[in-house]
Amino acid sequence: MAKLDQFESVFRAADKPVYGYERVEIAKILVVTDLPAAEVAEFRSRLQGFLSVLSDDTGAVPLWVDLGVDAFQSIEELLELVASEGADLVCTYRNLFTKAWVQPHSLGDYVDVLTQIAPCPILVAPHPKAGREFDHAMKNTDRVMAITDHLTGDDQLVNYGVRFTLPDGTLFLSHVEDEAQFERYIATISKIPSIDTDDAKAAILEQLLKEPSDYVSSCRDILAAQGISIDTRAIVMLGHHLREYKRLIVEHEVDLLVLNTKDEDQLAMHGLAYPLAVELREIPLLML
Amino acid sequence: MVAIGTLQEATSAGTLQEAASAVPLQEALSAVPLQEATSAVPLAVTLLFFGLLVLLITFLALEERLHAKKSVIAGVFAIGCLLLGEILEILPPGTVIVGGETIHLPVYIPGIDWNVLAIIMGSSLFVDIISKSGLFTWIAIVLTKKSRGDPVPLLVYYGVMTVVFSAVLNNVTAMIIVGSLTVVSLKRLGRDDLLLGFLLIEGFLTNVGGLLTLISSVPNIIVGSAADISFLTFFVKSGPYVLVAMIASLWLGGRLFGIERLTTDEERETARNLVDGFDENDSIESSWAFWLGAVMLVLFVVAIATASVTPYVRELGMGYVAMGFGIIMLVRYKSVADKFYQAIDWDLLGFFAGLFVVLNVMEHAAVLQLAGSGLARIVALGETVGSALTLVAAALASSVTDNIPIAAVLAKMLSSHPEIGGDPTSPFWWAVIFGANLGGNLTPIGSASTLVAVTIIHKHDLTISFGGFVKKALPFAALQIVLAVVYMLAFLR
Repeated sequence: MAKLDQFESVFRAADKPVYGYERVEIAKILVVTDLPAAEVAEFRSRLQGFLSVLSDDTGAVPLWVDLGVDAFQSIEELLELVASEGADLVCTYRNLFTKAWVQPHSLGDYVDVLTQIAPCPILVAPHPKAGREFDHAMKNTDRVMAITDHLTGDDQLVNYGVRFTLPDGTLFLSHVEDEAQFERYIATISKIPSIDTDDAKAAILEQLLKEPSDYVSSCRDILAAQGISIDTRAIVMLGHHLREYKRLIVEHEVDLLVLNTKDEDQLAMHGLAYPLAVELREIPLLML
Repeated sequence: MVAIGTLQEATSAGTLQEAASAVPLQEALSAVPLQEATSAVPLAVTLLFFGLLVLLITFLALEERLHAKKSVIAGVFAIGCLLLGEILEILPPGTVIVGGETIHLPVYIPGIDWNVLAIIMGSSLFVDIISKSGLFTWIAIVLTKKSRGDPVPLLVYYGVMTVVFSAVLNNVTAMIIVGSLTVVSLKRLGRDDLLLGFLLIEGFLTNVGGLLTLISSVPNIIVGSAADISFLTFFVKSGPYVLVAMIASLWLGGRLFGIERLTTDEERETARNLVDGFDENDSIESSWAFWLGAVMLVLFVVAIATASVTPYVRELGMGYVAMGFGIIMLVRYKSVADKFYQAIDWDLLGFFAGLFVVLNVMEHAAVLQLAGSGLARIVALGETVGSALTLVAAALASSVTDNIPIAAVLAKMLSSHPEIGGDPTSPFWWAVIFGANLGGNLTPIGSASTLVAVTIIHKHDLTISFGGFVKKALPFAALQIVLAVVYMLAFLR
């Protein structure tokens, strides 16, 4: 029944997830820091400038709430505060209450747990004292990049990307298919005599990259229909995640990265998110 | 080709001695009447070969249990029958005069109806190439979106599509296209509960659609060729029945499987959004190829329809038209033509070749004459009772074994009947056509397309036993067969 499977494949390929636009409402923002009181206002001010997109389109200004060293003593207390405040966004930076930011090898306990437990997205800014941020970082969000290894159907990721992109700005919807994993499968296929390796490699790669490309086309159409004036660009490729994203951030002078961190199947951070969050320290990350 | 055809006629008529002396076939044909030639075969030999024919049909019915392809079963019987026929000296030596030159031609070469093989091979090649253009999937997805995901319009569109695709393509391909789309779209709509009903109705409709044109199913080709029914005549006579049977089957299916319209605006909105996700252009490689496919398909239908009246083509036959279109389309994919050769159903072609050889030997063994005497009794009952009985008998026989040998054997018998043989308007031809096609709906092994439907059902973890299938199929088959009998007696006499 080879033909049966062929036609089922054709119809499955034609069945494409259509992007569903939904405006993300950000009414309350918590700023969580371990800075002295005098520096908290400065940090918040930078954030307000950077996230001007959240207050300039409808005239509504979000409520900014500072949570400094006096507000909580432990991770548990911080989580309770975040939950009780009913915030739509938490802004912070890595390695709260430790000096570990000097050595860039972790997010720190607070951010690590926050990204997994908090009911709202976490914006992780470059550490205010580390001095690693790019020149264009923390200025505005006219160049935002949503990153994933499975873009197709991820409406939430795109909707946050759209919400954080300034009008007339550029939203890069990127999907990098892991090259090492792909090559491993092809290596296995190459050992199966009944499958033509070259044909399989070309066909699988084409389909892998076609699906996110089609989804981005759908995003572009729907956003245009909604009258949202941002330039949506697709970056769909095969490569090494970290290497490619580092390159893309520099190449496109990206101001904000949007990525998924929660994984439904596990307590730990999404496989792709953690290494990216640790390594990409030069620009803010919006971790959903 | 003409000479080969006359050899076949000659051998069919039993001109054994004449062929042995290598005389021109036209002379040979006119020299010996059928009765005289076959009467020389001892009854014991005839009964032996009759037993082999029954055994072949039984083996074909048990194809799935034997885990053997049809071509292998028919092939084994073909070589066995040929050897036995040669040993018992009932086969003519294969010497023939072509253009004044005497050539040796083994008896199994002219025994095969190459025109039928060419039609099947050419059509399947042509359809396979056309399907690569995305034309059929485009039509299927456009209709899915047009239904807005509402089950009742979806059933109607898929039903009409099944009938039309069965008529233009072949039953199996139609079932594969519509069945696979049904699976994907119903799963997309979250209506897996309707899958069994949809697939069964579509399976039953393939055999109704297979009645629409002369090339829609193999029994049509075999019986139509034997009766000399033209494409247009066939379409005009069978079309109204197909329309009525399709509407009745859809109505019955909707009631029996509880397929109802969506009731709330919210349900309708959700369903519409879900089917809107289908992209009808996804499988279209290029618009040029798409339009070429569409134009060529129309031309193909027109060429087949007019083949019997088009000068020059008339002499070459429908097989030439089918092969011609297949080869023309191959030019589009000339560098990868071999991939399309792989897609040809060689098992079906091998089966036909074997079957034709077996039937040819059966003719020489006077088996068909013997069986024809039984048919003569039915014919003697008159056009009303006789043709109705033939239709029902053909349907019952086709429900338990392949309808192709049934159609082929009955067509051979009717051809040699003095009153029916030369009369293409006889209702007995239609009785065989309707019976052979519709009988397939009675059991899951009755036709290749219902078998495909059952395969899809099992593939998607739905269970239906042989008895369960018969129970669900019986109302449809009964309705269609009763309608066919009434229609035949009212309009085809």
